[in-house]
Amino acid sequence: MSQQARIPVLVIGGYLGAGKTTLINRMLSDATQRIAVVVNDFGSVNIDASLIRERHNDTIELTNGCICCAVGESLADVLFTILERSELPEVVIIEASGVANPAAVAAFAHIEGFHHLGNVVLVDATHALNTSDDPLVGRTFALQVEAAHLLAITKTDEANEPIVEQVHDLVSSLAPTTPLVLTTSATLSSLIMNLAPHAGSAITDTHTEFSTTTLSHVSAQDEKQLLAFLQNFPSSVVRAKGVVELANGDRRLVQKVGSTISISQTELPTTGMVLISLK
Amino acid sequence: MTSTQPPQPGDVIFTARRIRTANPSQPTATAIAIREGKVLSVGTLEDCQQWGITNIDRQFEDKVLTAGFVEAHSHVMTGMYSTFPFVGWFGRHMPDGRWVDAVKSTDELVERLRTIAAEKESGSPVVVAGFDPIYLDTERLSCHHLDEATTQHPIFVYHASGHLATVNSFVLNKYDIGPNHPAPGVGYHEDGQPNGELREPAAMALARDEFRLLGRVVFAPETLNGFGQTMRNAGITTATDLGNVFHNNEEVLKTVLETTEKESFPVRMASVPRILGGPDGIDEMVSRVLTARTQSHDKMHIPVVKMVLDGSIQGFTAVVNWPGYITGEDHGLFLFPPEQVVDLLRPFHQAGVGIHCHCNGSSTSGVFIDAIEQLLREHAWLDHRHTITHAQLITHAQMRKAKNLGMSANFFVNHVWFWGEQHRDFTVGPDRASAMNPCATADRIGLQYSFHTDSPVTPAGHLHTMWAAVNRVTPHGSVLGPNERIEVDRAFHAVTIDAAYQLHMDHLVGSLEVGKYADMTVLEQDPYEVDAMSIRDIQVWGTILGGIPSKSTAQR
Repeated sequence: MSQQARIPVLVIGGYLGAGKTTLINRMLSDATQRIAVVVNDFGSVNIDASLIRERHNDTIELTNGCICCAVGESLADVLFTILERSELPEVVIIEASGVANPAAVAAFAHIEGFHHLGNVVLVDATHALNTSDDPLVGRTFALQVEAAHLLAITKTDEANEPIVEQVHDLVSSLAPTTPLVLTTSATLSSLIMNLAPHAGSAITDTHTEFSTTTLSHVSAQDEKQLLAFLQNFPSSVVRAKGVVELANGDRRLVQKVGSTISISQTELPTTGMVLISLK
Repeated sequence: MTSTQPPQPGDVIFTARRIRTANPSQPTATAIAIREGKVLSVGTLEDCQQWGITNIDRQFEDKVLTAGFVEAHSHVMTGMYSTFPFVGWFGRHMPDGRWVDAVKSTDELVERLRTIAAEKESGSPVVVAGFDPIYLDTERLSCHHLDEATTQHPIFVYHASGHLATVNSFVLNKYDIGPNHPAPGVGYHEDGQPNGELREPAAMALARDEFRLLGRVVFAPETLNGFGQTMRNAGITTATDLGNVFHNNEEVLKTVLETTEKESFPVRMASVPRILGGPDGIDEMVSRVLTARTQSHDKMHIPVVKMVLDGSIQGFTAVVNWPGYITGEDHGLFLFPPEQVVDLLRPFHQAGVGIHCHCNGSSTSGVFIDAIEQLLREHAWLDHRHTITHAQLITHAQMRKAKNLGMSANFFVNHVWFWGEQHRDFTVGPDRASAMNPCATADRIGLQYSFHTDSPVTPAGHLHTMWAAVNRVTPHGSVLGPNERIEVDRAFHAVTIDAAYQLHMDHLVGSLEVGKYADMTVLEQDPYEVDAMSIRDIQVWGTILGGIPSKSTAQR
């Protein structure tokens, strides 16, 4: 199976209470793509009854084409079952449990038919300092933060500013190169949906704290120039992705997450580049 | 005096050289009368004959009958060897009683695989289990060894640890597993080519079809039957499948109910569902468990629920108190947020459902005990019997508290033999290793306890757990924790009535008392009489389940 045909998988991690379920609820109700969400616990997903089309064993089908699956005993089995559906989802979002290491969950995202897009780890501004100091779970918290490709500090409106500042410093010290955003679930939902490839349509920009810029055509003389171009993005650009043509006609798949840049050869057609920035 | 109640068809008296009842007020007997599968009378032949029974079965006259052994922590996966050929380092009885010789080298494994593949159509999978390379001094197993067995079939060698599989090149090609595969857990040769190792389930799942065969076997009737046969052959009369998912899957529940009800199913089963997910879904799980209970029958009970709270000590995934592990990297992680444990357990406690919580590390035992204390403050239930299962590194202070709260411990005492030296030398050091599974201290403190094998993690059978608790010897001949050794009588009660107590089944099984199921273990020798070091060598004839003898099929 080619890389293109694989379904992208995003892992949402973070300690208990960080807002994972709220975020997932919002993504399901706002979805403009066919999302398959894999959750720990149906009970916690408060899906609007009018959205539910059918429930069968461990899967809830929604009227908007999304599905919600309970992970039960085996994450691998849930993913295999998703692949057997007549209509495949465009993106799979896995909710890691409150004590799981997102990296361990993400290890399942390489099963044939899927590819791993990244781990978004939420950090609860109101509890992170205590959790991080807790002798029982402090190490779990640190492992979660370290496994993130994008960190989001949530509930910033419920914590006072100096605390948010301290949480920011704590998280930055654990994962100094990982892009970090301060956010609410509403804006985070839009951000994440923008991270996921959006089949057949332009990426929308409907929110206030993040903006999406599409560069319809990007060309560079060579890899060196391309690298310099990417390095010179302002620090507010948290994510960039696209296919770029070099002067000799070769193409390069480009990804930038925070300060991490990857450039690889590709046969994909040029797409230009999508940049997601903080406003 | 003779009973005024008339004898009934099916009444029977068994005589024996000795009967060990696990009833301290009448510890031994020589005859037992049975009616309707239950103990009618126990004592001398004369005592039993007062019921007017003339059907006297003397086939066990030179054998020893004991109260049937109760296994409160094992797994249905014990029966997987009914489906997947066994290729372990120690020879072992298969569920059907066949003896399978040890696989002592890579060459022997390849030869075994070649034979299996030769009987299969080209392309159909060869999945084997129980491979244990720790003891092999030959080259590390790779896809190249397996390619010598066959290039026409996918081969999947599932290791005994459960953390690793080795596959052949057929599998690597089938799933396009090449150099620089993005999945963590794919092993490589020095030249960058995959070596066939797939570490942890996430990587094993890359071999989709073969991996799924492993998952499916858990729910198959032949696996359940294999579990029952293995237990019977080991002399177990009540066996627990601790931690299944029948509450999530009606078909699984139906299979368990139907399979265990068959007359040929040779053991009484305690089927115990595992808590999954978060607190919001727990009420639904409680109601599913209570509904399932209404369908249970004489040979299928749903006595308690299970929570798994940490990993294993030898895997460095148990959560251990300060100062942690003596060597190796600490990978200890809770499987549920500690502060959520009370919320997850509350609905079961309130509904009167006992809880067995897997706690290997000391930190984990502490979290569970504290949660139970909180629940008891909120909701009085004096007979809860909530049980810390494994409880291997439980501290004395934790034991005192657990005792005061009315809790129990189910010790994994086989560890002293199977991993004791590793614990002493690599995981927790000699002091804490000597204090692991502290039976004698539990007695001093008054904490109720039993033993388990965690089969298939260690082989099913309580003669071995009794032997381990009484002797505490290690493979190289040291005694690990001599002050924690206990007497045979104490060990015998731990594997019978005390295990039944933890399952809330002591009114039904665990001792030979009038009115309880006539479940017995039939032994060739008396564990009280043989040399303590020979207890594990006693031959098991089989069992008597509900008054019906069931001979072991294990080849000797």
